Formats: sequence, C-alpha cells, structure tokens
Amino acid sequence: MSVLDNSIEQLAQQVSSGDVSAAQCVDASIAQIRAQNDSLNVMISDCEDAARERAASIDAKIAAGENAGPLAGVPIAIKDGICTAGHVTTAGSKMLENFAPPYDATIVQRLNDAGAICIGKANLDEFAMGSSTENSFFGVTKNPWSTECVAGGSSGGSAAAVASGIAPASIGSDTGGSIRQPASFCGITGIKPTYGRVSRFGLIAFASSLDQIGPMARSAKDCAILMNVLSGHDVKDSTSARNDVPDFAADCEQDIKRLRLGICRQHFEEGLNEEVKASVEEAIKALESLGAETVEIDLPHTKHAVATYYVVAPCEASSNLSRFDGVRYTSREPAEKLIDMYSQTRKVNFGEEVIRRILLGTYSLSSGYDHELYKKASQVRRLIKNDYDAAFEKVDVIVGPTVPTTAFKIGQHAQDPLAMYLADIYTASANLAGVPGISLPCGFSSDGMPIGLQLQSNMFWESTLLKAAHQYQTQTDWHSKRPQS
Amino acid sequence: MSQSHTSAQKIASLARIELTDEESAKVQSEFDSILEYIHQLDEVEIPDGTEPFFGATESTNAVREDAVVPSFDREEILKNAPDSDGEFYRVPPVL
Repeated sequence: MSVLDNSIEQLAQQVSSGDVSAAQCVDASIAQIRAQNDSLNVMISDCEDAARERAASIDAKIAAGENAGPLAGVPIAIKDGICTAGHVTTAGSKMLENFAPPYDATIVQRLNDAGAICIGKANLDEFAMGSSTENSFFGVTKNPWSTECVAGGSSGGSAAAVASGIAPASIGSDTGGSIRQPASFCGITGIKPTYGRVSRFGLIAFASSLDQIGPMARSAKDCAILMNVLSGHDVKDSTSARNDVPDFAADCEQDIKRLRLGICRQHFEEGLNEEVKASVEEAIKALESLGAETVEIDLPHTKHAVATYYVVAPCEASSNLSRFDGVRYTSREPAEKLIDMYSQTRKVNFGEEVIRRILLGTYSLSSGYDHELYKKASQVRRLIKNDYDAAFEKVDVIVGPTVPTTAFKIGQHAQDPLAMYLADIYTASANLAGVPGISLPCGFSSDGMPIGLQLQSNMFWESTLLKAAHQYQTQTDWHSKRPQS
Repeated sequence: MSQSHTSAQKIASLARIELTDEESAKVQSEFDSILEYIHQLDEVEIPDGTEPFFGATESTNAVREDAVVPSFDREEILKNAPDSDGEFYRVPPVL
C-alpha cells in the first residue's frame, strides 16, 4: 500500500505530524509516474526537481514545529492548461511546446501556500477543446480501467492521474464538461464550481464566459478540502466572485434529510445507455434512503445545450486564441510578410480540432455569414438559465447521469466531430448557466468501466453538492474501487 | 439548413490560418454537418423581450483602486518571444 492511498485529510495529517515525510509522498508519486506513464500517457511533464525541493522545505518547516498547511505534502497533478512559473505549460499544443510562463496561476499559488506539491502537468485536449484527450499534441491519454478506451476530456490526464494513483488529487478545468466527463469515465469525483467561485488567473483561456477551474480526487470529501483552498475572490481575476466561502469540508458532515432532488425527464430519454441508466436510478434510491426526496422537474431547453454551446464556445475561442500569432508565445514560422507569418504559424502549430473551432467561431461572428447565430444562441442560453432558475425554486439538487455512456474506444469518434460533441449533452448546460456540478462514481458497466452520477445545484451551492456526494459515499464504495495496474 | 455556400477558405483567411484546397474541402464538409445540427436553434421559440445571456457575471461591475503596482520585468516576458531586440518584439515587415 502506498502512502498516497490515504484520504487527503489523513495524508496531510500524517505529514504534519511527521509520521510520513513530504519527501516520501513525492517519491511515491514519482514512482507511480515512472510505472504508469509509458502505458497511459497521463502526464506531459513532471516537476520532479521542484517537487523534491518543495518537499524538503515542507519537511524542514514541520521539523521546526511550524504549520505546513491543510494540504501539507499532498502531491497534486495540474492540468497543463494552467500556468506554472518557469515550468513549461503547453495547453496540449505544439503552439506552446516551449512556453514557460513568467508567473503561477492564482490556484497554483494557493495550493503552494496550503502545502501541496505540484508533481507534474497533466495531459489535455489541445487548449481544452475535446472530450477524449485524443486532441493533444502529446498523444492520447489512456483510461486506467482499460487502455483501449479514452480517459475522457478535456481534463483526461488529470482524471487518469487520480485513477492510476499518481496523485491523490488533481486540478482540471471545465468549459462544457471537461472535469465531470473525464471524472465519470475514470471512476473518480470531480467538481465544476460555480462560475467565478475559483480564480482563473493563469488558466489559458478557451471560452471565458464558460471556463471554470475545479478539483478532481477520489472522494467528495477530498474535493471539498481542495475547494476550501481554491475558492475565493482574486484581485487578478475580475470575474472571480466576492461571495463568502463556506467550510466545504465541514459542511460535508451534514445530513441530507429532506434534500429535494430534481429528476429531469430529459436526462433519461433516448441515447442513454441502459446500464448507465440502471446505475443512476440505483444511486437515486440510495440518496432517498438517506432521507432525500425526489421531485420531477422539467428543463425543456437543455436539449439545445450542445447546439448553443457549439456556437458560444467557438466564438469565444476564436477571439481568445487570436493571441497565438507568432509574436509573443515562442512558436513562429518564418515568412516574408507579417500576415503570412501569422497564417503559417497558426496553420503549423494548431491541431485539427482547434482550427475547426476557430473557423466555426469566425464563421458565426463574421458579418455577412451567420452572425445572427450568436445572438440566437445567447437568447437560447437565457432560456436554459431560466429553466434552471425555475427548477431551483422547487428543488435543491438536480440529479442524473454525467454522460450517456461509459468511456468510448480510442478512435471511435475520430471521423465524426459531431458525435464527439454529443458527449457533453448532460454537462454543457451547467456551464452555459454558470451553475456548479459534480460527477461521482455510482457503478460499473458489465465490461468493467466506471459510471458517473451528476449532481447540479444553484449558483454558489457547492456545499450542498459536496454534502450529498459525501453522504452517498459514506453508504457506497464505488469511489474506493481501483483499476488493476 | 445547410450553409454550404460558405467558403471555408475565406473564413480561414479571416482567421489568419492557411488552408490547402484539400484541408478546406474537409473543413467544408464537417462544417455542413455541424451547422446543420447547430441550426436546430432556428426552431426554438424565443419569447418577446428575451435578452441574450452572455455569462453569469453580467450584473457585476468590478472596480478597483487605480493604484500603480509592480508588474513583470520586460526581460522575463521577452524570454518567450520568438524574436525581439531586447526591448520590443520584432516581426516581419508589416507592409
């Protein structure tokens, strides 16, 4: 048994009391990277030297009787779309293959201040665009439960890092499901917080009105401990919320008697795999046995969430990614004239899916093409939000599947981008409305692949999500299953 | 509704991405199926007066003290420049 098998709470306590050293945690994590990365391709780079230095300073602090923080010695994998000062941050793109940011993202700073140790940078779909981590310039991340399957995406490396025991927790980002969907595919717990709850300073922007950073770990309690560290206003991110941050970990201990669970008919209609449906229904019964009540709700516009998302997100992406023009960020293709330099640099250094989305966004925003589309999509987005507002008048939490299926085979959707986009069908609406959502394991398919349960709540009600998920995990052991390595 | 009359090549030039004829044809056919899917939005009935929703921070106006604070060193920033003269980014001729 590895020291990293303990819960984050236990591990941080063991390190703080000197029973386990931070150096041992780093050793265990690096050993797992060595053992697993060749076959799974989870990490783009490791931070071994910096991690060992950090561990030594944490151990020295503890030896001197100082408080090393609530995450003392806990190794954490960070999605490689999040900036780490002086350490190459690629966003999964050839464009940033050699880019070393001059600063840390705010969340990296917060994790460091809490005693956590960044162990390496996890693989992702290029610029977080994808649902399978197949779009990474650095190769596909494989699912630790079956190497024939994808780990999900775009935070596929972050999910696989936790599932394969490389780190007890990781950081992902979620624009249309990119934390929740890979969490579901890899059998772990991952939360997309409310839009604005966690600072995005230092997250390489994909779609700024949708992007949110969040934690991924084995249990809801572990996620809650991380949420305590990550959340809160940041002067460097003017979209970060000024709302008070509750003690998420303490709130997990509350019961869920009389919690009103909304069941949305649209989430159980055609396209939902039968085994996924059965496991989700079983999980709802378990929540009821803990005292929750179920109420039928209607979210009539969620069926348009993916179409809306694939207008809004590419529009924002086409604008955000215009900064990669060969002038500032390491990569440049030589050309005689400036405009040719731009066009060559972007052609050579962006992958196929990124180009597809930039073009889709440019198309939707260009006068004379389809510019009414963006307005229409933004109005439908309002209707989706109104649906949520009406639902949360009646219920506290909306419960359903995270994804219609378990992890699909590598290459299965390679020729059909639209089929891939539909993997976001239950998750994208939360990003459009700004509400939080969590995915947690609730069973396995007959071929041994994990199934995820999604809970969504109103803005800033993450405590309720984490509490419900934690209480469920006190009654079930799906979250403690591990893949055979 | 298909928008196949749209020239992928023209869009690509607006986005400053060079495409070969072959790539452009592929993008064009993918666009057709994606846009057909997206245009399901045409069927959504929008009640009168529905304001577009651009994101969850729409009601907040973030302000801060207008104070001078240290920023990054130029040298640090220029380390990532493909080409610079030590003070400015250097690019090929604009005209």
